[in-house]
Amino acid sequence: MNCNDVVELTPLYICGDLDARRAAEFDAHLKACPACMLELEQHARLDARLREVVLSEGVNASRVDRRVRELIAAGVQADLPPRARKTPRRWLVAAMGIAAVLLLLLVGYAAFMGAHVGQVYADAAADHQHEVIEQRPRKWFVDTAQIQALAQGQGIEGVVPAALAPENYHLQSAKLCSLDRRVFLHLVYSDGAKEFSLYLRPRDAVPLPGRVLETANGRVLRVGNAGEQHIASFETDRLTAMVVTNESADTALRLARSLSATL
Amino acid sequence: MPAPYAERIATTVTARQDEFERIAMPHSRSLLRVARRLASDRATAEDLVQETLLRGWASFDRFERGTNARAWLFRILFNTFYALGRHMRSGPVFVALDASDGGTDQRSGGSFSALDAAEVSSALDALSAGHRTVLLLAVVEGFTCREMAEILSIPVGTVMSRLSRGRQELRDRLQPQSPKACEALSAASCARGKPNELQ
Repeated sequence: MNCNDVVELTPLYICGDLDARRAAEFDAHLKACPACMLELEQHARLDARLREVVLSEGVNASRVDRRVRELIAAGVQADLPPRARKTPRRWLVAAMGIAAVLLLLLVGYAAFMGAHVGQVYADAAADHQHEVIEQRPRKWFVDTAQIQALAQGQGIEGVVPAALAPENYHLQSAKLCSLDRRVFLHLVYSDGAKEFSLYLRPRDAVPLPGRVLETANGRVLRVGNAGEQHIASFETDRLTAMVVTNESADTALRLARSLSATL
Repeated sequence: MPAPYAERIATTVTARQDEFERIAMPHSRSLLRVARRLASDRATAEDLVQETLLRGWASFDRFERGTNARAWLFRILFNTFYALGRHMRSGPVFVALDASDGGTDQRSGGSFSALDAAEVSSALDALSAGHRTVLLLAVVEGFTCREMAEILSIPVGTVMSRLSRGRQELRDRLQPQSPKACEALSAASCARGKPNELQ
């Protein structure tokens, strides 16, 4: 092994990637070549200093950790069946009893109306309520190019989020969210006064819930509602799309019809 | 008698979450340390790491238990970084190099321990993205050349080349090459190459 070989193999040697035979030859050369030994020692000293400096820089990942856990929990806990939830404390039982009665009335109404609330709809409704209506602090992308890249990163090809905006609407912001344990691209469109949410993800084997209402532009439109939110959804060959709005069921349907022609 | 179906489902769901917490979440700090040197600002770096961990969560069922989770996450980090485009990338930080005055260089003995931390940090940021990335992954995060090739989806030879040139460039910025030192080394070790782009 000569000096040129040592120069070429130094990165592998330092990383510990050299096999035993070549590592032994490398060591033998270092013992015989003061220049190469000096070079390697300088590498080692610089590496040590670089490592020391970078590791001494404060890195606090707690905010990221918290956000990730919240997003995961929002998707995971929602999947827990009611019987599997932990027993609430006594002081909550009375309040939960009243809430249960109200919930039963709501669910009964929904059942009477023929609407079926799947978990993904419930998650989408809660997400729209918290993040768009209540505007809880979240990190949104607002640059259209970044949003486009976000979509592509999720495997949503051939879609320009900004161009999907129905008449009188514009793309306001976007982020990723977890609904029913799956990551969706959450797009928010505004007409200047009101917003609606469009959730997109690549189509998978999980079918959309909800009552089939009609077929528009070759797409089957389904509807549902959860709380104050109205949901209309459809699938293309490649995508799953859900529209969520708190305006009215007719608005959700109208927006879904418009989007089913565009997507 | 097996547990009721609902309880089994709940157990599976929380077990997966616990497993992800145990396997993946401890690496968030390392991910953020590197992301801060890639992205344009701290908020963008946090977004990048958040996105990385969520993608890891989404694909956690495909992660082979017992394999290198840190390398898996870093691969997702760089795939995410590339996917989210140039808007996330930092521009080069200009660092004025000290002009050589031909006088005695107190650091010519090769000791870098006395270098100011800010000087080292600035010199690192002044490197090309490709050189900076491999130095961070190798020197700070301790990945091997083969692991870095997997993480960055580039050949091992390219990793080696970037490491060599990156170290040389960093040394040049922190300690100008003296003619005497160059004479002592082989011609190949004094060779300079053009900085490589990240991709």
